[in-house]
Amino acid sequence: MIKVRNLKKVFRTPDGEDLTVLRDINCDIEKGEVISIIGPSGTGKSTLLRCLNRLEEPTSGVIEVEGTDILDRKTDINLIRRRMGMVFQNFNLFEHLTILDNLTLCPMMLLGKSREEAEKAGMELLDTVGLHDKAGCLPSQLSGGQKQRAAIARCLAMEPEIILFDEPTSALDPTMVSEVLAVIRHLANQGMTMCIVSHEMQFVRDVSTRILFLNDGIVYEEGTPEQIFEHPVKPVTRAFINRIRTFESVFENRHFDLYGLFGKIHAFCGKYGLGTKVTAKVEHITEEMLCGIIPFTGPVRLTVEYSEKTSGLSMTFCQENAPGRILDMVDDDSLSLMMVKGMSSSVTEPQAGTVCVEI
Amino acid sequence: MKRLRFVLIAALMWLSSCGERKTPDLTDVNSVEDLKGHSVAVAMGGSFDLMLSDIGGVDIVRLGVGELLVAVEKGRAEFCIMDQFQAVMLNLESRGLEMKFKDILKGTAGAGFRKSDSLLCSQFNDYLRGIRVSGEYDRWLDEWKASSDSMAYASFAVPVHEKEPGKRALHVGITVNYPYLFLKDNRLTGIEVDLFNRFCQEAGYPVDYEIYDFSALIPALNSGKIDVILSHMRRTEERARQILFSDPYIEGGGAAVCRRANGTVAVSGAGFMERMKESFRNNLMEEQRWKLMTDGLWVTVRISVLSILAAVIAGIVMCRLRMSRRRIVSSPAGFVIDLLRGIPLLVILMLMFYVVFASSRITGTWVTVMSFGLYYGAYFGEVFRTGMESVDKGQWEAGWALGMGRFQVFRKIALPQALSRIIPVLKGEVIALIKMTSVVGYVAVVDLTKASDIIRSRTLDAFFPLILVSVVYILLAWLTGLGLKALERRMVSKSRGL
Repeated sequence: MIKVRNLKKVFRTPDGEDLTVLRDINCDIEKGEVISIIGPSGTGKSTLLRCLNRLEEPTSGVIEVEGTDILDRKTDINLIRRRMGMVFQNFNLFEHLTILDNLTLCPMMLLGKSREEAEKAGMELLDTVGLHDKAGCLPSQLSGGQKQRAAIARCLAMEPEIILFDEPTSALDPTMVSEVLAVIRHLANQGMTMCIVSHEMQFVRDVSTRILFLNDGIVYEEGTPEQIFEHPVKPVTRAFINRIRTFESVFENRHFDLYGLFGKIHAFCGKYGLGTKVTAKVEHITEEMLCGIIPFTGPVRLTVEYSEKTSGLSMTFCQENAPGRILDMVDDDSLSLMMVKGMSSSVTEPQAGTVCVEI
Repeated sequence: MKRLRFVLIAALMWLSSCGERKTPDLTDVNSVEDLKGHSVAVAMGGSFDLMLSDIGGVDIVRLGVGELLVAVEKGRAEFCIMDQFQAVMLNLESRGLEMKFKDILKGTAGAGFRKSDSLLCSQFNDYLRGIRVSGEYDRWLDEWKASSDSMAYASFAVPVHEKEPGKRALHVGITVNYPYLFLKDNRLTGIEVDLFNRFCQEAGYPVDYEIYDFSALIPALNSGKIDVILSHMRRTEERARQILFSDPYIEGGGAAVCRRANGTVAVSGAGFMERMKESFRNNLMEEQRWKLMTDGLWVTVRISVLSILAAVIAGIVMCRLRMSRRRIVSSPAGFVIDLLRGIPLLVILMLMFYVVFASSRITGTWVTVMSFGLYYGAYFGEVFRTGMESVDKGQWEAGWALGMGRFQVFRKIALPQALSRIIPVLKGEVIALIKMTSVVGYVAVVDLTKASDIIRSRTLDAFFPLILVSVVYILLAWLTGLGLKALERRMVSKSRGL
């Protein structure tokens, strides 16, 4: 239905610098699919979605909607857009019109429907999204969740073949997220073709037929929800899915600022709610490793990774120019090593010079 | 509210009864030199003003010609110096005033012509010489002195040449000043008008009188707006350097007027309501002066409506240019807007009238509409811009995403939302514009304010015409507000339906 090839989008910042958001996007959307686009923030998920109906002008590439090149100057983009609904993060209901008028304006103006027809269809749609009573209200009188449901109904009033959802729940109060997701889920069950940008991972997993993981301006990984969520192949995907948070620090030699480092570790642990016990463990292991075990034959890199999903915490000490396996060089009855082993669940050295400590 | 009303009424009562103070003793003052240490009202910028400034030690109260007598009546000044002929014609006794001494700065007054227009000047001089020789001039002047009223009516009988295509019409700039030039039954008459009409009758010129401020006459003449100054203008060296004076046709000087030595002012005995009735009759009913007011009101309304239309159009254009994404368009537009907003409106108006359109015969009305259009266009444009910018970008995007074209989104989505924010702000600007039209008197347009000035210069009553004019402006502003509110409601309801 939609074919995207070599899509590139470069933004010009106010300082005159070029910012490449989409480098080279290739994807297809077939009729009846529910595609979700996920990925770290700033990777151009929304931009990709907005390129699909040309709210953003792509820098280069090809987008075809059922064989029509929508980037062609001769294409009437308005006709294409009438077949592609879009739901926005900020709802964007027409503020000066009642909810029903929001639903009837475009069908009457663009599809040539009579007022009776449009209002009848509009009321039916409001019924399906549960806003029958709000038909005469102005958008400002509605809650966020109600607004978004009305916006979805407005989309449906144009009888689109596909709906693009641009973070439909990001601007909502947590208590209102589920009512909007329920409406979208309902649409998915009815076989509506949809393309969703969302941060609601559980929802995305349930509702999608296919997931595109966007990173660094390309479709980094693509697959069914099971593939992406259970068996992600690539490291960035894994980190994202497991919501891994990292802390990194590099030390040139033995004379680094230990207490400054403790401060940073403290802040990192505090940020993700790790508690004083765990924080103290991380600090002790760091001290023993750096002051007793690591030989400092060159710069050392410390990486602390915390997965919010599994609550697993791991520390990696990477010694450059290591003369051999570090753990082999330390006496087995070394106090430092014993302490580290005592505080962790496992200490391994997968390759010479890199020590992994799992807590 | 009630309290406020009480305070207002009390203030008005006080204002209108100011004249009931006792007059100080002024018997010793018998010459210009004696005026030292006294307060003297004179016409601003006139020759008496210069004279008193030169003497020094005089407390000079500079006013318009029409306010001089009132100032003495109300005690703002002890004396006023006015034209002695005028002082004779006015019924000073009934106002509780008297002429103290006269023949101040005796001199002559004549008509003014452009230096390059000596042919017309000499033609006029020939005519003057002719009537002086035949004795007609003296007879005519005596009759005017005897009764300006009957002569005014007689002067209406002098036929004036119809304007014909191809024939040069003389544009004559005048300043209303009884008894030389004044309006009677809503028609222009007076000694000088009568004289000039007779001249034009004989020489075969159609004639067209335009009312100017005295200080604007010489610039208007030199910029070609008018061909003749006929305003009892005294010949001074300074003026003679700029314009060509005809032979003098009226001699005269100033008279110092003060309150009569004994007693209070006669009118003070009447009650407030009676005085109001008298003012009403005097300022409006007599000589059909209300016609001047209604004509002035019509001019004000016409200028306001045209100016608002011009300003809306200019505002849309400026807003469009200012909001252009191209810097080469938007920055000059911003500069022009800042420029227009930085210059006082009156200065723009004068610049347009005396500099930009100096040599064209375009009327003051159109210059006004253009100046107001530009000046308020800059303000309206900024109001439109902030209104349009206040519409969230998301509203446009939602419209586009549904398949509407740019214009459809503008018409159905952005404009109704912007208008609901623009109209309340615009209301203030529009009312300010209407009130600001009161300055058009400077470019020879007789609007409501100028009409009241003319009436005041004749009746020498400041209170009633000004209050009346204020009330009319308040009504205009109120009606405009109602109109805009109705417009706002219609816009909103229209955008809801299709």
